[in-house]
Amino acid sequence: MSTVENKEQMPPAEPPLILGNQTFGTVTDRISKLAERKTTLTWLAALSLAASVALLLLGSIGYLFYEGIGIWGLNVPVAWGWAIVNFVFWVGIGHAGTLISAILFLFRQKWRTSINRFAEAMTLFAVICALVFPGIHVGRIWVVYWMFPLPNQMDMWPNFRSPLLWDVFAVSIYFTCSLVFWYTGLIPDLATLRDRATTKIRKIVLGIFSLGWRGGNRQWKHYELAYLILAGVSTPLVLSVHSVVSTDFAVSVVPGWHTTIFPPYFVAGAIFSGFAMVMTLGIITRKVFHLEDFITNQHLEKMNKIMLLTGMMVGYSYACEFFIAWYSGNAYEQFAFINRAFGPYAWAYWIMISCNVLIPQMFWFRKLRTSIPVMFVASIFINIGMWFERFVIVMSLARDYLPSSWDYYSPTTWDVLTFIGSFGLFFTLFLLFLRFLPVVAMFEVKGVLPEADPHHKGGSH
Amino acid sequence: MGRQGKEYWRSLNQLADTDEFKEFLHREFPKGTVELAGNAWSRRSFLTTMGASLALAGLAGCRRPVEKIVPYVTRPEEIQPGLPNRYATTMPLGGSACGLVVTSREGRPVKIEGNELHPSSQGAAGTFMQASILGLYDPDRSQEVLKDGRSSDWDAFVAFWKKQQVWHIADGGEGLAVLSESFSSPSLSRLKTQFEKAYPRAKWVSYDPVSDGNISLGIEAATGRKLQPVYDYSKAKVVLSLDSDFLGFESESVKATLGFADGRRVLSQQDDMSRLYVVETALSITGSTADHRLAIEGGRIAAFARALAGELSRQGVLLNVLDNVTLPDGSDFDGKWLEVAAADLIAAGRQSLIVVGRRQPAEVHALVLALNEALGNIGETVSYNENSDSPDSNRETLAELTADMREGRVSTLIYLGGNPVYNAPVDLEFASSLRKVKTIIHFGLYADESAAGANWHVPQAHFLESWGDARAVDGTTSVIQPLIEPLYGAHTDLEFASLLTSGETKSAHDAVKDTWKDILGGGDFDKKWRRVLHDGLLTGSAAANVIPRIDRRGLTGIISASTVEKSKVTVSNMEIGFYSSNVFDGRFANNGWLQELPDAVTKIAWDNVALVSPATAEELKVENGDMVTLNYEGRSLEMPVWISPGQAKYTVAVALGYGRTAAGRVGTNTGFDTYRLRTAGAPYFASGLTVGNIGNNYTLANTQDHGSMEGRPIVRENTLAGYKDKVEFFPEEPHHPPLVALWDEVKYDKGYQWGMSIDLNACTGCGACVIACQSENNIPIVGKEQVHNGREMHWVRLDRYYAGDKENPEVVMQPMTCQQCENAPCEQVCPVAATTHDDEGLNVMVYNRCIGTRYCSNNCPYKVRRFNFFNYTNDIPEVAKMAQNPEVTVRFRGVMEKCTYCIQRINTAKIDSRSKGREVADGEIVTACQQSCPAKAIVFGNINDPESEVSKLKENNRKYHVLEEINTRPRTSYMARLRNPNPALVSKESHKSEHENG
Repeated sequence: MSTVENKEQMPPAEPPLILGNQTFGTVTDRISKLAERKTTLTWLAALSLAASVALLLLGSIGYLFYEGIGIWGLNVPVAWGWAIVNFVFWVGIGHAGTLISAILFLFRQKWRTSINRFAEAMTLFAVICALVFPGIHVGRIWVVYWMFPLPNQMDMWPNFRSPLLWDVFAVSIYFTCSLVFWYTGLIPDLATLRDRATTKIRKIVLGIFSLGWRGGNRQWKHYELAYLILAGVSTPLVLSVHSVVSTDFAVSVVPGWHTTIFPPYFVAGAIFSGFAMVMTLGIITRKVFHLEDFITNQHLEKMNKIMLLTGMMVGYSYACEFFIAWYSGNAYEQFAFINRAFGPYAWAYWIMISCNVLIPQMFWFRKLRTSIPVMFVASIFINIGMWFERFVIVMSLARDYLPSSWDYYSPTTWDVLTFIGSFGLFFTLFLLFLRFLPVVAMFEVKGVLPEADPHHKGGSH
Repeated sequence: MGRQGKEYWRSLNQLADTDEFKEFLHREFPKGTVELAGNAWSRRSFLTTMGASLALAGLAGCRRPVEKIVPYVTRPEEIQPGLPNRYATTMPLGGSACGLVVTSREGRPVKIEGNELHPSSQGAAGTFMQASILGLYDPDRSQEVLKDGRSSDWDAFVAFWKKQQVWHIADGGEGLAVLSESFSSPSLSRLKTQFEKAYPRAKWVSYDPVSDGNISLGIEAATGRKLQPVYDYSKAKVVLSLDSDFLGFESESVKATLGFADGRRVLSQQDDMSRLYVVETALSITGSTADHRLAIEGGRIAAFARALAGELSRQGVLLNVLDNVTLPDGSDFDGKWLEVAAADLIAAGRQSLIVVGRRQPAEVHALVLALNEALGNIGETVSYNENSDSPDSNRETLAELTADMREGRVSTLIYLGGNPVYNAPVDLEFASSLRKVKTIIHFGLYADESAAGANWHVPQAHFLESWGDARAVDGTTSVIQPLIEPLYGAHTDLEFASLLTSGETKSAHDAVKDTWKDILGGGDFDKKWRRVLHDGLLTGSAAANVIPRIDRRGLTGIISASTVEKSKVTVSNMEIGFYSSNVFDGRFANNGWLQELPDAVTKIAWDNVALVSPATAEELKVENGDMVTLNYEGRSLEMPVWISPGQAKYTVAVALGYGRTAAGRVGTNTGFDTYRLRTAGAPYFASGLTVGNIGNNYTLANTQDHGSMEGRPIVRENTLAGYKDKVEFFPEEPHHPPLVALWDEVKYDKGYQWGMSIDLNACTGCGACVIACQSENNIPIVGKEQVHNGREMHWVRLDRYYAGDKENPEVVMQPMTCQQCENAPCEQVCPVAATTHDDEGLNVMVYNRCIGTRYCSNNCPYKVRRFNFFNYTNDIPEVAKMAQNPEVTVRFRGVMEKCTYCIQRINTAKIDSRSKGREVADGEIVTACQQSCPAKAIVFGNINDPESEVSKLKENNRKYHVLEEINTRPRTSYMARLRNPNPALVSKESHKSEHENG
């Protein structure tokens, strides 16, 4: 078996990434079995729960289409509410997957192999959830396709100056690339499953999806090159997508939105929240599927370090915004930030600060950084905090230039149901993934086993 | 059917000629459809049914319904399809009359504007006048004659009355009583005289809950004559208002606003403006315009007037007529204020004016007439004329009538309009006094509270459906001509009154012509009459001014009859004040435009509230929206409280006209019925009120949550003296980096370039522009819940900011609408380019293209864009759709909308000018808001033409742009507000307006 990973010797100080004396055989066995075994009751129960919640989303959307955007809590100063908050939240979550699979790949971080598969799956599903919101939040859903540059008899193009249009391109490209990247990564493992398949249907279906993969030397050579290129293509996306999303705000004139720090700040936040979500999902998956040998404490600790780093970047951005508001001498800007911390939405602001800035500080301590319960709880808090970050930003609308139009936004039941429902959709997709596909990239994990060390085989491939 | 050949039948029922089929033929609509309009239908159930119907309609197939239209065979000469016709008419309201020009399209009136020839409107129109177009198409108006609550018809009523009339004539009208509203109509007074002749023992009582009765009583007491005052605010250099909201809810406010604004028009540093002192209880539109305002209880205004008289006489004004009256000194009031105001009034020399509001008792009016006379103002700033066509609205007579009814002395009571069951003083117990009346006939627009207990209800025609006439306050006779056949088969006032008098049905047209034959005198009647119809009034018919002579005995008598006491109000003995409101006295309660128009000062729509001052609220421990109990004279009312800066301490102000129980789908159960606390003895204010806090909070729909400008240069102002000294305005414009663009900017220097100027010194915040815009641009009514959610749709809103002392703040009003930024932030962010710039500088909305991302609204710094969160127009009743302007698209759900400077009017004028081969002249295009503005604060035109009025105003040194510093480059500019405080008071007031607002 060849390796996709780097061919250097591991530094001796690093403890082994995969525990439990795994061999190629046991890796294949243990991971494949998860996709091959009989459906468990636990999974069925979880799926029915998730699917029911997803139905809430469908129901809410149905009612939304029937009645109009008015079922949400929007008003005139605050014309964007939870839908946009959720959109940015979900897009942000997606970023960790791409970062792990593409950037860490390019940086030859071997520890990514255990988590990249489900992190990428998470990306995909999060982006699906994210895409739901800009689609449904427009007033006239039936003409939403006018956002796309479709040739038409009126020669009417979309407005290329609008950040919302940039969003359309950024997010759809992101989704496409992530999908292709993820699927490409799946091919060798699908072929493994195909080879192990016992029923005819399985053989045919997996046969189709593994695209005739035989694991030959030439195939590996092409495959690795393709994977490398895709990783290269995906890498800028990690930075660009959320930068573009941030321009939705940064390009406007709204005090509190009109800030040049937004692109890097958003990207850091996205990675931060994405890792938190990977952590939450990883801890559960690991526990349920007994993958402790594959997703080890070492993996988790590394992710915690990234969260500590990105959390501090986010915290720095929060501080920087205040500094710039003061330094600019712009009274509207100054008001917007004082209002953020002490105005009607101060509660949301302080939730955000506590979750995103204070909680990650625990990870300075090794003991806390390696404690599973602590990191699980922390990851959930960070997810909450990052949702609130977007909420706080969007709510800058509530108090802009003319005090006469200031108003307060409160969500309605439908806002809440739609948001909860999006989690249903996310978990439904994720559960289907857990059930039918290899949760861990088997061939990549094999590549980081001691057996894969080229010195065992006497030469690189 | 004496027809040969085949006979076609519509259904088997017709063949069988069953009762059901006859009923079906008789009914205009199938059973079940008309009943839908009944009161029991809430919006929700209505929507449910509509939803179900829609679903069923969907099942029937996805084709559009086939609706055949048939062209005229011979076209009526005056109708050009697609082109509007304009007709002059008059809206009577109480004793006043407002001349209007109504735009009619294909036979249906759609827009009301002021008649420039008419003295009371002078081209502008107030909120009541403009909103009456919606009242015309109100589907809740009564649609059939009711006999004991059951459907009947006009013929049955005529037959009944003919029978009834016989024995009324026989006994001279004994036991016959007519209860009308006050009116000022030559024809109706002629009929009234005839009625009195036909039934000499009958009573004719007129009653209005809110009227100018006190004014006429006061004048009569002081002069011994029935006179009508006419004020000329444009001439007055110093105006002192004693509880008079002459710019707001007093009669003739349109005329007053124009005159007042003219007296304050400052176009250069050389110009002067008048000074306004206001003494009032609740902060009114007038109070918010004041240069100096004193907030005292309504009950102490009389004392203030006397103290003022004392002060004037001390300062040398000859007040011999008051020799027998002891005039108190001003020790009970702000002595300095009184002294300075008095000195100012004297200094203005025959150019001052003291005006008293109708809420004040007759004695104050009498006294002030004497003061105006002594100051030499009569004939200058106030003049009087005799108006014989207007019977007094006199509450004593209503009390007498009620007593008669109670004692069984009234057998037949006829309401000629009015709704006393709802709005009579509560202690008269009007409803219960009806029990002994044998026959009650109700003639009214609605089957309302009063109609409920009546034996007969006859639908009254709307004034836009009626022939009639009315006399304006200055005596000008104007004509009311119908714009449309009565929609619901109703009958006009004159028809009804003729029937009552003669027992014969006579058309109102004939009745009016009969009257006008006398008015127009000899000569060619038809020719003169046509001229009157064209103008809407008889030119030169204003009554001659009368110089009243003061009847010393009468004056002394009325003043001595009452005593004034020092203030006694405390937190446990507060004063309650009753005010008219956006729905006037309740008659406009079912008018959605007026309900949704936020109160000019509190900015609350769809409700009335108990206003208290911030300090009083603190003592009562109440907050905005808290439910309180108002206990007054053994009666109590629960209503929400609202903290209103500027309200006099320990007073509560409540608006009348809400809490109707049978107003219609809009007005029923909207707000709180404050008539339940209003007694005959104290119709406008009285002390003895206690307020109890209930605690629970009530949801109020307020369109402006924040009253402080936060020191931002949004409304900029200076004092007149400061401006004369140096052209600068506060708050100052902030420092900002150079306003440069990243790319070559469009020049906008060719052709027409539209722009607007709004003079904040003229604007009073009356709200006429809001209604005008709503009517012109088909802006939907969204209801209380939506307004509460911040989704009101008004394209132009009136922002109100407070500054300074919370207990007596300075107030500024600012009309805010799309500024048509040349560098529009909204345009840049729309992903589908649905909002773009045209080459005339307009920021246009392409509704068809809009997909509703609402990004433009977020990015609009002025927040003037409005979004259709629901399909609001879906709820518009079929008949009300007739009020819509066919030139303006009706917006569907999910679409953003906003002001486009009435682009339809611009294009009409452009088409017209092109067909005539010339340019659009300055002043040819008048936007709806501009047209209606009584203060003429809004000027619109081509800024590319240096000679246009708007260009000149934009050159004026008072011009500024709101939020100029973010480089939006608005096309709408404002003219900074000026105040004219008396230097003698400025130092004392420690001039709070260092413009550190809020």
